[in-house]
Amino acid sequence: MGDTEVLTTLKILIIGESSVGKSSLLLRFTDDTFDPEQAATIGVDFKVKTLQVDGNRAKLAIWDTAGQERFRTLTPSYYRGAQGAILVYDVTNRASFQKLDVWLNELETFSTKHDLIKMLVGNKIDQENREVSKEDGLKFARKHHMLFIEASAKTREGVQCAFEELVEKIIQTPGLWETSNRGVDISQGGQAASACQGYCAVI
Amino acid sequence: MESILNEEVDPADLKRFELMYNEQVRRGQVSEKAKFEYAWCLVRSKYIDDMKEGVALLEDLFKRASDDGARRDYLYYMSVGYTRIKEYPQALKYVKALLKIEPGNHQALQLEKFINKKMTKEGIMGMAIVGGAALALGGLVSLGIALAKK
Repeated sequence: MGDTEVLTTLKILIIGESSVGKSSLLLRFTDDTFDPEQAATIGVDFKVKTLQVDGNRAKLAIWDTAGQERFRTLTPSYYRGAQGAILVYDVTNRASFQKLDVWLNELETFSTKHDLIKMLVGNKIDQENREVSKEDGLKFARKHHMLFIEASAKTREGVQCAFEELVEKIIQTPGLWETSNRGVDISQGGQAASACQGYCAVI
Repeated sequence: MESILNEEVDPADLKRFELMYNEQVRRGQVSEKAKFEYAWCLVRSKYIDDMKEGVALLEDLFKRASDDGARRDYLYYMSVGYTRIKEYPQALKYVKALLKIEPGNHQALQLEKFINKKMTKEGIMGMAIVGGAALALGGLVSLGIALAKK
């Protein structure tokens, strides 16, 4: 399995308010680490990871943007060409959920691929002081045609799944990525059992 | 790390932020925001003169920064700028200053690692050039001696 050729390179963005855990989700996914004192991202950070989904290997180029105000005007220039976006909010912070509209708007304005796949992630479910219910998250995701999952970068829950589901959906949308390598046989595999089913609400 | 360091600004963006900045300069009141946005575009230009101008603006922003958060960010941006210009000792100085404030900052650690790698590589190459020159010189001297002996 490990020898499978890389099918494509996908550009993925992570956006959302500051301190909702964007970098923590990324570092849990790429390095399997978690730093409770994670410093605020300066500008943008970048990581690469290869992922095997449905027998296809995809190389992910992940851009993690700072949520801070100072960099806000510059982030849209990093949206170009992205095939997937992960929108993050903090389930213990209602305001971060309410700001999702702004982020979605920005994404719609500046992304160059109109069929880009969006994944909504409610992070920090390990914490007790929840302010946003799972139902609210799901409702929002459904309304805006996004995938949805709740996760915890701290406990690992849902993290791998968030990225896998997103990539799977992108690969199933060929117009989104197959520009240079047409004719490659992608095994659709129908709705073949994914380890994530039952977790993610695919809308 | 390479992606951050090689990433290039869209010329249209550079132009847009340049116009905004120049407009403010013309009015005699430049906001920190406009200056930073222009500086960061310049640093990501493909022309070295732009990068140098960007770094100079960042240094000025750093000197005038009012809060620690901004100062921390400017240290990183300056280090990225100097790395792009390939002035590694200066880049290292700024990233080390940042690591003093936030020893565990993974962006800074990655950048520091990259700079050190580049410096080692260039150091070895520099030594090779100097060594090569010494060998050539040695050759000439012995040739001279050989000729003189004749």
